[in-house]
Amino acid sequence: MRAYTFTQPRSVREAVAHAGEGAAFLAGGTTLVDLMKLDVMAPTRVVDINRLPLRGIKLDPDGLHIGALERMSDVAVDRNVRRDYPMIAQALELSASAQLRNMASIGGNLLQRTRCGYFRDVTTPCNKREPGSGCSALTRINRTHAILGTSDDCVATHPSDLAVALVALGTDVHLATAQGTRTVPLDTFYALPGSTPHVENVLRPGELVTGITVPRSMWAANSVYLKIRDRQSYEFALASAAVAFEWRGRTIKQARIAVGGVGTTPWPLPAVERALAGQPATADTFEAAVSTAADGARPLSQNAFKRELLRRTLVRAFTVLAESR
Amino acid sequence: MTVSPVGRDIDRVDGRSKVTGTARYSADYPASNLAHAYLVTSTIGRGSIRTMDTTAAQNAPGVVGVYSPANPLGLRLVPGIGEQYAPLEDTQIRFRGQIIAMVVAESSRQARDAAGLISPTYDEQPPRTSLADEPRVPAAGPPGHPPSALVLAPGVASIEAALAASDVVVEASFHQPMQHAVAMEPHAVLAEWNSDHTQLTLYSGAQLPHTAALGAAIRLGVPPTAVRLITPYVGGAFGSRVIPWYDAPLAAAAARQLNRPVRLVLAREQVFTVVGHRSAVNQTIKLGASRGGVLNAVSHVSDASMPFVGYRQMQPAVDTSAVLYKTPNLHFDQRHVMLDVPPTCAMRAPNEAPGAFALETAMDELAVATGIDPVELRQRNYATVVPGTGLRWSSKHLDDCYRVGVRRFGWSARRAEPRSRVDGQWLVGMGMATAIYPGNRIPDPVQVRVRLRDDDTAVVSSATADTGTGGLTMLAITGAHGLGVPLRRVKSELGDTNLPPGAPAVGSMATASTVPAVEAAVNAAVAELIKVAVTDPRSPWQGANSEDLTYENGHLRGRGISMSFGRLLTTVGRPSVEATAAAQPGPEATQYEFHSFGAHFCEVRVNRYTGEPRVTRFTTVVDVGRVVNAQAVRSQIVGGVIFGIGHALLEDNPLELDTGRLAASNMADYMVPVNADIPAIDVHWLDRPDSVLNSLGARGAGELGTVGSAAAVGNAIYNATGTRIRSLPITLDKLL
Repeated sequence: MRAYTFTQPRSVREAVAHAGEGAAFLAGGTTLVDLMKLDVMAPTRVVDINRLPLRGIKLDPDGLHIGALERMSDVAVDRNVRRDYPMIAQALELSASAQLRNMASIGGNLLQRTRCGYFRDVTTPCNKREPGSGCSALTRINRTHAILGTSDDCVATHPSDLAVALVALGTDVHLATAQGTRTVPLDTFYALPGSTPHVENVLRPGELVTGITVPRSMWAANSVYLKIRDRQSYEFALASAAVAFEWRGRTIKQARIAVGGVGTTPWPLPAVERALAGQPATADTFEAAVSTAADGARPLSQNAFKRELLRRTLVRAFTVLAESR
Repeated sequence: MTVSPVGRDIDRVDGRSKVTGTARYSADYPASNLAHAYLVTSTIGRGSIRTMDTTAAQNAPGVVGVYSPANPLGLRLVPGIGEQYAPLEDTQIRFRGQIIAMVVAESSRQARDAAGLISPTYDEQPPRTSLADEPRVPAAGPPGHPPSALVLAPGVASIEAALAASDVVVEASFHQPMQHAVAMEPHAVLAEWNSDHTQLTLYSGAQLPHTAALGAAIRLGVPPTAVRLITPYVGGAFGSRVIPWYDAPLAAAAARQLNRPVRLVLAREQVFTVVGHRSAVNQTIKLGASRGGVLNAVSHVSDASMPFVGYRQMQPAVDTSAVLYKTPNLHFDQRHVMLDVPPTCAMRAPNEAPGAFALETAMDELAVATGIDPVELRQRNYATVVPGTGLRWSSKHLDDCYRVGVRRFGWSARRAEPRSRVDGQWLVGMGMATAIYPGNRIPDPVQVRVRLRDDDTAVVSSATADTGTGGLTMLAITGAHGLGVPLRRVKSELGDTNLPPGAPAVGSMATASTVPAVEAAVNAAVAELIKVAVTDPRSPWQGANSEDLTYENGHLRGRGISMSFGRLLTTVGRPSVEATAAAQPGPEATQYEFHSFGAHFCEVRVNRYTGEPRVTRFTTVVDVGRVVNAQAVRSQIVGGVIFGIGHALLEDNPLELDTGRLAASNMADYMVPVNADIPAIDVHWLDRPDSVLNSLGARGAGELGTVGSAAAVGNAIYNATGTRIRSLPITLDKLL
């Protein structure tokens, strides 16, 4: 633990004024406090944003608006979310533990750091934690690591379940700095590791996530989040699939798909979406559609199984969705 | 007439204090002028420290002491017990995660902060880490436990010849990774000396209080009588608190130097390396049998990891393949592979759990090879005497465990053909396995003190340990049973070396060993009471013969008078009488073989798409003699089965071969089952007292459930999928 200053602003303007180089926003604390204890993060300024007016879960003609400080558990039980966006509620309820969900915020969830064991252990090299120190996972223990979007410098998976569902649903993220506000589509919000794995998103120094908007659609209500893992609770995904179908009779008019546990960011699968569009919901359709899902995968010594697991996770999710129709 | 509590569902006598937080665990004890310690551990797997600059740590706020190879604490190793090195006494690095420095400060945070300022440099050597590639060495078994054995029928030249002459041969090799106890309470100690440093009090979780105190005394170079160890509450042990590690000696040595009490609590990741684990092990089983499944030969070879720093040799065959089935030809060889890894320890069912996974999986493979039902196969090879020795068991009703288990579980619904039961997305399978665990009493004398008080209550005391198992409640139950008084009038005490040396909480022996000592102490205390009755001038029985008085249900009777012990003591003006008595096994210990037995039945579902195995039903029927506390025994068996499920499906701490780093040394990555992974577990016991072992007929139950349960899971997965996984854990990637 290192010394840091601590402030508790009451407005967004005040909060972003405190932010910048060396500062970290504190919401639920389930990532930041954890990583500060491990000495992985050592901010010199901690800005507690819990007094900011960034609450509210509201459904209107534009879609679902969720304040960045809403807790995961509150969003998961919201009636509108459960009815119109079931995959969001499912992704939340399959995350972490009840205690963590009671604390963790929606904004923080989108910004949580990877669970790569090397990132979290300061006695090992890790390019994401310490640029240029090397990637331990490339050659060592990597069963849970990513196969998509990886680079020679980083193979860490993005850990969020919620972000996978939100990417599939075309969510916008609302951001604020002292200079003003902007809105960024979530699927362009995250950065591939490339040669700069410590840069994980497009946030500017001191920029604050204030909320998200999930648009209305013809498919969000017909959606599922399927999470595959070794343990039935309290574990991150080996593979997950967020799938939404718009139906026309027995035919899939269009599909929205993103996958987790396999990519360095929440991973949309537009080619699979296209392969399903206009097709009957049959096992043959599903098998054919997922054949390209793991294209471009770069398996490591222990995680080659994720290619097949990814395809099967998708087929299972499609099947669940088709059967629940 | 007082109804005995033995065998009933008895709530823990300390349940309220545990759930309300008033129970004090080692790190909860207060002390005035307390200093806090934090360990620094090595970040290489083998080599030596080249430089270690501790200046910044020494100058950090609140720091009162920094101990390192440049400023060691003079600890000594105990030859043959525990780790064979003393931390800080040299610069050698023997494994990654070894203690290399300790910082003591005014607060735990200051100690931790300062510890982070110590960054040694090393001269590195490649650690020897490969269980598969490093050379095998023969084990050196403890007395009476040869590491290898060969029993051949007359005229048979070798085990290979016996196998070659068999109609059906099954040969299978198994791998099990190292396993950690991950007890809820991290290892912690408070060390406090008296003013002239002649007496040390240690508050530290221990399974054997007197042994832990003795070990600390030797490491500190003080007489054994100088150390008192207090450990009434222990937050789980599972073998990780059998021997004293270096946490208590380090804290005590620093406390002596600093002249103030020191508390040391291990960080969770440090528990994985400072404290021992169960060895990784590779095993090969060969079974030769007739077409009818009758065994002709059993061969069991094991290669278990053995740390260069020492501690425990794994011997997985001797209490599984060597005793479980009747066979005319038997061979086992238990070897070691020396590695630069943290120390090992005797984790719950230390030999039997890994051994039974291999043997009971191989038996399932034999059932498949011969087309015989797995239960029937085991009954065809049922041993009534120990193979090779001809010794009989004190009490063995394993055949009833099979029969009752088959009925309770609904085994007849199982289809032998794999993949023949499908329920929606899920393949459904059933498997079974046998459980066996030694049912011994500790050979040493076990002492118990019984005190009868003038308020008609009694105190039963013994320096055994309650590691969360219910030992304190067991003492109260057996005391109430012996005295014939209600349980609420009996107080029990344990976990303090100032009490008479009691049974170690190891080897599932505590209850079986304590029962006879409680009985002896009750008799001795009653004799003291009668002595007072016939000698004290204020007693109505003064001058009577002792033989004229009888004790029953808390009362003395004779000459037409009846009086409770409390009233007699009040009458004669004595607050209490007490007696301490000892008990130890007699000649029966060598005349019989003692084991507890059981049969596991498991149903799993394996997802057809994504392969994850989920346990959906589990029935375990055990033969553990007479049950002292139904609730505690049920909990023990359920806990043992959960251990087996974790071992089968989840637990793994991958060892990086090039660095010696254990990659999952935290409770997120080292996965033990959560509630969602565990179905309702149906536990049944036969309740057939083992009257040879002790007067109550109670045998151990603490480790039994852990034995064979992983094999039952794996066998069920085979039945569901047709895929045999011989390398644990059985994760979904192996079933895709």
